[in-house]
Amino acid sequence: MDAFQQGLVELLPRMRRLARSLCRDAAAADDLVQQASLRALSARDQWTPGTRLDSWVFTIMKRLWIDEGRSRARWTKVLAPAEEGERVADAAVSSPEQRLEAARVAEAMAALPNDQRLAVALVLVDGLSYREAAEVLEVPVGTLTSRLVRGRQALLARLEQEGIAP
Amino acid sequence: MIVTDETIAAYVDGELADEPRAALEAQLAADASLAARVEAQRRLRSRLSAAFDPVLAEPAPRDLLALIRGEAPPATVVDLAARRKAGPTWGWPQGAAVAASLLVGVLFGAAFVRIAQPTAILSPAADGVTAAGPLARALDGQLASDQPAAAAVRVGLTFRDGDGRYCRTFATSHSGGLAGVACRAGGGWRVEASARAAPAPSGGMRTAAAETPPAVLAAVDAMIAGEPLDARQEAAARAAGWR
Repeated sequence: MDAFQQGLVELLPRMRRLARSLCRDAAAADDLVQQASLRALSARDQWTPGTRLDSWVFTIMKRLWIDEGRSRARWTKVLAPAEEGERVADAAVSSPEQRLEAARVAEAMAALPNDQRLAVALVLVDGLSYREAAEVLEVPVGTLTSRLVRGRQALLARLEQEGIAP
Repeated sequence: MIVTDETIAAYVDGELADEPRAALEAQLAADASLAARVEAQRRLRSRLSAAFDPVLAEPAPRDLLALIRGEAPPATVVDLAARRKAGPTWGWPQGAAVAASLLVGVLFGAAFVRIAQPTAILSPAADGVTAAGPLARALDGQLASDQPAAAAVRVGLTFRDGDGRYCRTFATSHSGGLAGVACRAGGGWRVEASARAAPAPSGGMRTAAAETPPAVLAAVDAMIAGEPLDARQEAAARAAGWR
């Protein structure tokens, strides 16, 4: 395994978390990660060694996710769906209340417009800086921050509606 | 001083410069409603973490890891026939499609590491995997009824699927032995299913059927519309550019 493959393997957990925060369900998130991995492997010549692999891969994910939403086309399923038991974390680490709240948060995310969801996912879920997130999204920092503010307001409003105190 | 949501967000995200941050913190101590707004944003951040961070601890799917590492596929995943026998977990033919695509995925590993080489036989595309190099040439030009015994890629059945596309099964010694079925898509051949091929017996007679793993034949079963092409139809289809 070379450095690129190693980097991609190490990035997988973050790719999967990002995908899960963007996609409505875990299966779609897995598809997104698979497609992005394929794309990254086939386009690896376009990545400049020494630059951030995460930003480059996240940009691939963003484009795939937006294109998929636009065309409404499903990706060809390339790999097997994750087996039962591969998604154990949800059940293992939390109480039923926490799981319920997590589900509400996920629903609130899914209800956000794409632009806002991407901004929230990159900054609040993945923890990128504003500048890094703006680069991934290929927009000015000011655009990123205004999407982020609107996304936050919408999330808070919706969660409050659902009885989850701000 | 009125504090905008944008400033509060930047503060919570650690994006506020020293000077405005000091000013905001001074104001926070004396302004309960401002403190509540900051707290709400903090809690939103931690709620998002609580909802999505557990994904970090999940093991990545093995197939995906194998694909990235360019490793041989995990043997356990390739057994489509067993899955069929196991009962109607999936509807038919959706089950076949899922299982067939599963086969494509787990077998990438071996072919992928050879991408940069002229003998690469699979090429990742945006919507799947297409045949490349010697495999693409064989699918384009080789007739099952007339192929050299020593050909590195052998073509088996040719048939039309439910959408009227031409599909062809193949077996090759490339990539450590691979057999599969590919269908005409966009001027190329999209690999719809594949599986590890058993090595051909040295010196023995080889037939397309013997070379084609049961998993691939099962995929063909699920895809085929009508009968496979005979030698004359196959030649005519090639002459027409597989359209």
